[in-house]
Amino acid sequence: MTRNSKTKDFMIRHMIEMLLVLLIIGMTIGAPNFASVNNIMNIFRNVSLKGVVAIGMTLVIICGEIDLSIGSQVALGGVLTAYISKVLIDAGMAPDYSALIGLLAAIALAILVGIFHGIAIYNLGMPSFIVTLATQSIMYGLAAIICGGFPIINVYPNWYEYLGVGKLIGVPVQAFILIIVVLIGWFLMSKTDLGRSIYAVGGNAESARLSGINVRRVKIIVMVAVQLMALLGGTMNSAQVRSATFGFGRGWETQVISSVVIGGTAMSGGIGTIWGTFIGIMFTGVIANGMTLLNVNEYMQYVVNGALMFFAVMFNTYMNRARR
Amino acid sequence: MRILRTEHIRKEYPGCLALDDIGVSFDSGRVHALVGKNGSGKSTLVKIFSGAIQPTSGKFYLDDEELSFDSPVEAQHKGIATVYQELSLIPYLSVAENIFLGRLPKKGRLIDWKTANRQAGELLQKMNVDIDPAEKVYKLSMWQCQVVEITKAMSYNPKVLVLDEPTSALAQHEVQSLFQAVRALKNQGVIIIYISHRLQELWEIADTVTVLRDGKLIDSIPMQDTDHRGIVHMMFGEVEIRSRPDDLSVQEENVMEVKHLTRAGKFEDVSFTLKKGEVLGIAGMLGAGRTELLRSVFGADPYDSGEIIVEGKSAPQKPTPESMKKLGLGLTPEERKTQGVILIHSIRDNLCYAGLDRICDNHIVNSARRNEFAQRQINDLQIKVPSPLALVSSLSGGNQQKIVLGNWLNNQPKIMLYDEPSRGIDVSAKQQIFQIMWDQSRKGISSIFVSSELEELLEVCHRILIMRMGKIVGEIDPGEIRIDELYAAAMGGNI
Repeated sequence: MTRNSKTKDFMIRHMIEMLLVLLIIGMTIGAPNFASVNNIMNIFRNVSLKGVVAIGMTLVIICGEIDLSIGSQVALGGVLTAYISKVLIDAGMAPDYSALIGLLAAIALAILVGIFHGIAIYNLGMPSFIVTLATQSIMYGLAAIICGGFPIINVYPNWYEYLGVGKLIGVPVQAFILIIVVLIGWFLMSKTDLGRSIYAVGGNAESARLSGINVRRVKIIVMVAVQLMALLGGTMNSAQVRSATFGFGRGWETQVISSVVIGGTAMSGGIGTIWGTFIGIMFTGVIANGMTLLNVNEYMQYVVNGALMFFAVMFNTYMNRARR
Repeated sequence: MRILRTEHIRKEYPGCLALDDIGVSFDSGRVHALVGKNGSGKSTLVKIFSGAIQPTSGKFYLDDEELSFDSPVEAQHKGIATVYQELSLIPYLSVAENIFLGRLPKKGRLIDWKTANRQAGELLQKMNVDIDPAEKVYKLSMWQCQVVEITKAMSYNPKVLVLDEPTSALAQHEVQSLFQAVRALKNQGVIIIYISHRLQELWEIADTVTVLRDGKLIDSIPMQDTDHRGIVHMMFGEVEIRSRPDDLSVQEENVMEVKHLTRAGKFEDVSFTLKKGEVLGIAGMLGAGRTELLRSVFGADPYDSGEIIVEGKSAPQKPTPESMKKLGLGLTPEERKTQGVILIHSIRDNLCYAGLDRICDNHIVNSARRNEFAQRQINDLQIKVPSPLALVSSLSGGNQQKIVLGNWLNNQPKIMLYDEPSRGIDVSAKQQIFQIMWDQSRKGISSIFVSSELEELLEVCHRILIMRMGKIVGEIDPGEIRIDELYAAAMGGNI
């Protein structure tokens, strides 16, 4: 390879990183408040909720599947935690423990939902797209039924709210949680046998199966992982606004999936990185923040996000064609 | 009477002469069998008739009109229809829809179902079969699908009909039903060219037989003028088989026993044993059930009954590739690209999937060991790669096959199952693959080797099982049989 084509290759492969840098430079010049410490903390806090879900979603998409139900898991997980906590408090339990029991119940539910998805996909041969579209509706409805259509409030102890508003050495706790999740995700995908199996299953499930990889187990694990990440994102969300209701998480899947594909993960599976998704998360976060600072109409953000997703997928499709 | 006739047809590919001066003629009202082993040039000749390729030189005529096609569509318009062994029917559409796909009769802008079904019914009747035109195709049996496929071809009123291995996927009783339809066609003045490897069928259905070998026309004679031995001899001539190295020996110890393995419709009551270090061949033609057997032994497909014992231990009743891998088995599957490798991933990754446990300590990948494992196979198997990080999709077929093999060797298997490992790879890569099998044998690793290139089996194996119609019908010592005898045994009929 000549030096010139090497440079070109590098530029194409790191297009999104360079765009992010350009965007940051542009925002710093265009919006005076952008580069302030406060605003940067703000960006981190804003992206962390959907960011942790995007890390889970990266596993799912690399594995060749999709989960459209994560928004409803945000709602149902949050409502279930709050509802159980409320019931236990009414029965005389201290909020410290009631919320913990509620959270454990929500974790159990998220795991069960993930296992259900995995079994429906692998054993019943159903497309993940449809399975999770169905559970999206089911979980949304259940969340509304449980909370009775109104926000549940006054059920959280301090430790719970800390997940939403706490700071550690001046940095929001949520940012730390995102960074930890990113690091775990990166380690899992690039350093462990499970991560390599996820790539293999998404790259060619039949070849993976005939190499003695347990495809069913891998699919169930990724479907559980994204549900747990949705619960984590939802918990941080509830903690931040100190309440839970069925409307939370509505539409999150669009932004989450868009972060993943902007980060270079192929919808056809087998290709993608956690680092890419992290860049994708920051990219969407900076754009959203920038538009707010520049007083762009709120709904314009939907237009921009949709367009970004379209072009990201178009670019990926073009890039990945060369690999087949 | 119509005649399809060729004059001095020659087809050259870079470095290979596929057809050499073929002059042959086929007349209407008869079924003409076209036979030859793989690579004999019969597919090339048929592709020239069907317009898929053009001859390098030479001409062919239909009733003294010279034909030359730029595309299969043109050939179809000129009256040459080809039915390939892979069926092209759409399962969830009806028989009539499949037959008239893209040209259904219409009333105004709407489809005229009544007419479509009536016309399809008439065509099927001409074929002397009873199939409901309104039935969905997925509900039909294999032979009925084959008949619908032929009917579809016939709906274009062709003058020449080429049938490529129409019976390879059919069971014995279904073959008879299909023949009934083919015989009905004979009486309609169509020139029928019939390709098959099931020799015993030919006396039932064909009137003449044309034999190609290494791109040359050997003979074209009436069926009654020849017999089994005659055809096989024409197909193979005098061949020299290279022999195995002398130092290969089989140890006494049984490493695997397969007892009464049955999978309904695929294979039946298959039993054999495999010794340590042995290279065991399974000879059989397409559709004999060899691939299915191998896949079931490996746990890739289920089986209905029977038992597999590896080194004295019973395999689980419902084995999976995962559980058989633990018992020490490995498989290089038939379809390299879709079942063997992950094309979009790197060579290094592809060499480390089966042995993932071995490159990990406590589930964490040891990068140094991963590189070492990948490099070892690249060196040992002489895989030509630009870099271990290059994508497998960039490699040639032979090198891809070595990747599949290396992937397994990195897991230190005790038994390797090879399904058509030499398909689509060049001669030197083939020899290297055989060399690898022998090297493994010297290390005490046993192999089961399935191939439809029976010469390969004679060259490579210690012992050969003959498989036909899902059953093991014989066992052969490669030292005591000639290639034509082996082919005759695999294709059926006595010699």
